Amino acid sequence: MAKLEMLQTLTGHKGIVWNASWHPLGKIFASCGEDKIIKLWNKEGEKWVMKTVLVDGHQRTIREVAWSPCGNFLASASFDGTTAIWDKKSGQFECNATLEGHENEVKSVAWSPSGQLLATCGRDKSVWVWEVAGDDEYVCEAVLNAHNQDVKKVAWHPSSDILASASYDNTVKLYKEDQLDSDWTCMATLHSHESTVWGLAFDKTGKRLATCSDDKTVKIWQEYNPDNQEGVIVTDRDAIWKCVCTLSGYHTRCIYDITWCHTSGLIATASGDDIIRVFKEADNSDPNAPEFDLICTKLNAHSQDVNCVQWNPSGNQELISCSDDGEIKIWKLIED
Amino acid sequence: MASRFSGALQLTDLDDFITPSQECIKPVKIEKTKSKTGAKIKIGEDGYFDLSTGQEQKLQKVEITLADCLACSGCITSAESVLVTRQSQEELLKVFSERKYSDTQGVTRDVTLIVISLSAQPTLSLAARYKLDPEEATRKLVGYFKSLGADLVLDMTVAEDLSLLEAQQEFLQRYQNHQHDPSTKQLPMLASSCPGWVCYAEKTHGNFILPYISSTKSPQQIMGSLVKRYLANKRELNPSEVYHVTFMPCYDKKLEASREDFYSEVLSCHDVDCVITAIELEQMLENSGRSLSENEDSNLDWPWDDSEGPGLKSHIGSGSGGYADHVFLYAAEHLFGETNAPLVYKNLRNPDFREVTLEKDGVEVLRFAIANGFRNIQNLVQKLKRGKSPYHYVEVMACPSGCLNGGAQVRPVRGESGRELVAQLQALYGRLPRARPAGSRLAKLLYADWLHGRDSDKSRALLHTAYHALERNDIALNIKW
Repeated sequence: MAKLEMLQTLTGHKGIVWNASWHPLGKIFASCGEDKIIKLWNKEGEKWVMKTVLVDGHQRTIREVAWSPCGNFLASASFDGTTAIWDKKSGQFECNATLEGHENEVKSVAWSPSGQLLATCGRDKSVWVWEVAGDDEYVCEAVLNAHNQDVKKVAWHPSSDILASASYDNTVKLYKEDQLDSDWTCMATLHSHESTVWGLAFDKTGKRLATCSDDKTVKIWQEYNPDNQEGVIVTDRDAIWKCVCTLSGYHTRCIYDITWCHTSGLIATASGDDIIRVFKEADNSDPNAPEFDLICTKLNAHSQDVNCVQWNPSGNQELISCSDDGEIKIWKLIED
Repeated sequence: MASRFSGALQLTDLDDFITPSQECIKPVKIEKTKSKTGAKIKIGEDGYFDLSTGQEQKLQKVEITLADCLACSGCITSAESVLVTRQSQEELLKVFSERKYSDTQGVTRDVTLIVISLSAQPTLSLAARYKLDPEEATRKLVGYFKSLGADLVLDMTVAEDLSLLEAQQEFLQRYQNHQHDPSTKQLPMLASSCPGWVCYAEKTHGNFILPYISSTKSPQQIMGSLVKRYLANKRELNPSEVYHVTFMPCYDKKLEASREDFYSEVLSCHDVDCVITAIELEQMLENSGRSLSENEDSNLDWPWDDSEGPGLKSHIGSGSGGYADHVFLYAAEHLFGETNAPLVYKNLRNPDFREVTLEKDGVEVLRFAIANGFRNIQNLVQKLKRGKSPYHYVEVMACPSGCLNGGAQVRPVRGESGRELVAQLQALYGRLPRARPAGSRLAKLLYADWLHGRDSDKSRALLHTAYHALERNDIALNIKW
């Protein structure tokens, strides 16, 4: 077994904290929430301190923040229908571009691994792909209307330009660009969850995808290419994604977020039961029917819904979480 | 999912009848008499009954009409399922068999003349689907409509010509106004023939974008005026006895036909009563168990006084009607004295965003673009919002690749890519005989005989329209976390 040791509790946001996101180097993180404010936190000695407050970027709740892979840009998705891009070219963080186009609430934003593309999604059921077209210039590359309900989350494959989205329609969809006309198409729809899919995270190879849902389960999906050795039938030219594992019976409420550590391979989940859980793939687990063990249950991680969990990308086993209770917590996983 | 209907409706799940969209926010007015304790409602086999007055009173189903959807800012595309009732193949077949239709006011009207107007794009779509050449496909299609009971089947070349001629004229006027006062939102002029684009602009960008949109009616609506006003008059028919059907490449044309702007109180009818699309026609043929080629041959009708004769035609330029090309050539000639200006398009970020420029003595004097597909509409709108649009004119179409790839064209068959099919349709379109709007004798005749000349009040009234911004009203209950 393992345990999550709490390193620090950070307060300061007024109301719900929706999201917290690590800078790629893991020494800064950004947080956002109902108070329409983005806070940037740095580590000073052993303690995290709030260093910068970004205000006036949005008119309504900020639902998610995401750092570009280079660490120079921060994107924020808001219920005001816009996505703001912040940078500190001038010496301090400023909003220098706003992506407009969603009809209403933007729920999630994510940068592609190259940093050249951004994806957003929202209540208008659409997923948008934006391309960085130069200094503070972003152009819309695609508007994908594949889902028929609210889209909750977008996430990019760790090494190629493949995009995944999770929706209130209980499905996950994968998209890629068609090189011939530079248009994006949905190449796979992942059915199996029985309620809203709230979060998704790729493993470090991008061959597996973990999803979490209001149906209280976590599912692990695996990619099978047309020429796969396992004999999985693939009728199209595109790979298929098969659900190879369902983790059920652990969470008692909706699972809002999931994070897959690219160093340790551990999966952490954030749930409406106020608990953070950590799962580890079993030794000798069959690659085509993997087994995951629950190695840590942090009861009462927060006093209300846990909205977000994210592993520190530096691989130091630190985990950040935030909650409806207005708090952000930094944890360290200690494995026996 | 939270319902936005009143408590009384929620109580009985009456709002289950609302099909258009779970996001539909159209408020429903409930006629209520004063009640002391609220309504008692009984659910019967055949409906819902209000018991509060002491006796059973059948409650009406809530019906959202297409006009409600169009007037609402709740959603963009949910009007679709409402269209199913008013503008469906079933409705069309019913009108054919009963020679009666019920208008938007619910009044049943007799039909004395059924007119079908064919546009080129869906006809080519069927030609490709049934592997016929365009002329043969047209004859078979005419034969099919005649077998159903159509009285006249017409091509729309003259309506397309009039739309292009008016757009050219409008551009010149806007260009000149812009020279006098650049602050008046005259340029860029944005094409108006795509109803998906117009509807989106009205609902989402309102008064910011609408002044740029060309006031010229689309060919469908010009054809509507021509049939309901000119043709009906010539035949001494009441326009409401004429049932006018257009054959179109996209569903959005149904929305366009249903606009209140195209309903006349005086004539008490719409200019176009029903829009039928390629994909629906394929379905109708399938239901009838006949392939298109198994229908009788019949020729297009020509009810006009000119001897030009009927036939599906193409216009130079895009397969969406050639707006950018026609306006560009006309402007080059009339503003800069350049006859036969070269039309060399340059692809921008993707093949659906192309631009063409005219240089005069080394200086760029005109810059036009064709922007197809929603992503390019977005980029165009953002350019305009930031004051960074370099364009004088943009042909805007909501579908990628434009109207030949309209949303209701027949789908590619198994093994065929959408791209290959569009390329095939583009090739077929290019091989149709060319229409020359400026040389059209029928257009000339209509201007003289019907419209009191070009630039007259009557041509402005019948060939132009207006757009209306829709207020957004977001209700807190809509929010889903």
